[in-house]
Amino acid sequence: MPVGAATNSVEDSTRNDQIRATEEALISRILEGERDLFLTLIQPYQRTVYATLVSMLRNKEDAEDVAQDVLLKALARLHQFRRESAFGTWLIQIAINEARMRRRKLRHGRMFSLTNGTDDDGVYIPKDFADWREIPSEALERSEIRETLAKALTLLEEHYRLAFILRDVNELSITETANILGITRGAVKTRLRRARLILRDILSPGFQQGGQVALAFKEARNPWE
Amino acid sequence: MGITCQEVWRDISDYVDDELDPKQRAALEEHFAECRHCAAVLEGTRNVIRLYRDERVLAPPEGFHDRLLDRLNQRPEERVRPSRRAVLAWALTAAAAVPFGFALFSAKRIILPRLEHQSPSGSPDLPAVSGLVAVSQDGHNKVFHIPSCPYLHGKPKFLSLEEAVREGYKPCPICIGKRQPEKKG
Repeated sequence: MPVGAATNSVEDSTRNDQIRATEEALISRILEGERDLFLTLIQPYQRTVYATLVSMLRNKEDAEDVAQDVLLKALARLHQFRRESAFGTWLIQIAINEARMRRRKLRHGRMFSLTNGTDDDGVYIPKDFADWREIPSEALERSEIRETLAKALTLLEEHYRLAFILRDVNELSITETANILGITRGAVKTRLRRARLILRDILSPGFQQGGQVALAFKEARNPWE
Repeated sequence: MGITCQEVWRDISDYVDDELDPKQRAALEEHFAECRHCAAVLEGTRNVIRLYRDERVLAPPEGFHDRLLDRLNQRPEERVRPSRRAVLAWALTAAAAVPFGFALFSAKRIILPRLEHQSPSGSPDLPAVSGLVAVSQDGHNKVFHIPSCPYLHGKPKFLSLEEAVREGYKPCPICIGKRQPEKKG
């Protein structure tokens, strides 16, 4: 089954409904005074918020500062949550707004737009055709592998990076990603296509970026070998 | 082979997302079965997504949860804290002020004694500055300085200390400060 296809399945839809119902019950109890439950509510979204911020701010310290501010603001504004969107989507929207404000401060008032950057509609031609064997999950125990992945992401242009983060890291649907970014589904798909293929090239075992970025798994091989 | 590699690269991301209609999907699958290059691109793309979806990638730093808990347990007014960047900026400013302060201190040590030696002030009400002092000809404030003071702006006018005081000028708190008159004998 293709990666991502599962999000459209009935099974996943049911699971999402259950998660949403659980979250709504938690939110009601928090608003009635059980504030300790807030940590339970946000536990699944800490990475979502942090990953969004680190991809936008490209600095771990700033990302942590802002992520904590975002989560505290979410608690303070929980009564404003309209439940029209998923709680996670609402959090990401707060995170993006906070990141914009932080960047505006850092850049002395220069505006930052999520829709900046020109989408290249042309076909992206892969640079490398090395064949990846499935990367073992244990590889991600190694911090240098995780750093390599984080660094590769920073090489993407911002508008590609953010579409990729929302869809492929935070696992939002294409429609949710489009709504958050204020662009069409078609534009999200264009950005995803490019982001995924560029990242594949950057990380490809056979395509060394000066030896700095590629994952370079020894077990990888080229198809013609 | 029904479709070209270029067409595959154009649609491969939508294929991964299951966003193609069945006919397009079948055409790509037929191509992947025959083209090892495109099959490698597909597998690499899936690997990229699989890797980035892993919770360990782009995870919050260690201690993030505990620091959040600490802030949640603070009273709301205590939660506002300067960002790490703001603290760093403050520290850098403070660090930059050290050599500036040292330069000022040196200027006072080197220049003031010389001025004092040239024309000692006899008045107990005057600061221990002697010789000529400088005031700004712009006249926007009534402050006198030692001639090298960086806070002396505009075109300088040189007066004796007594003249400056008589004309209502006050000593610059930075370069002269509250220096006490030197005791004689």
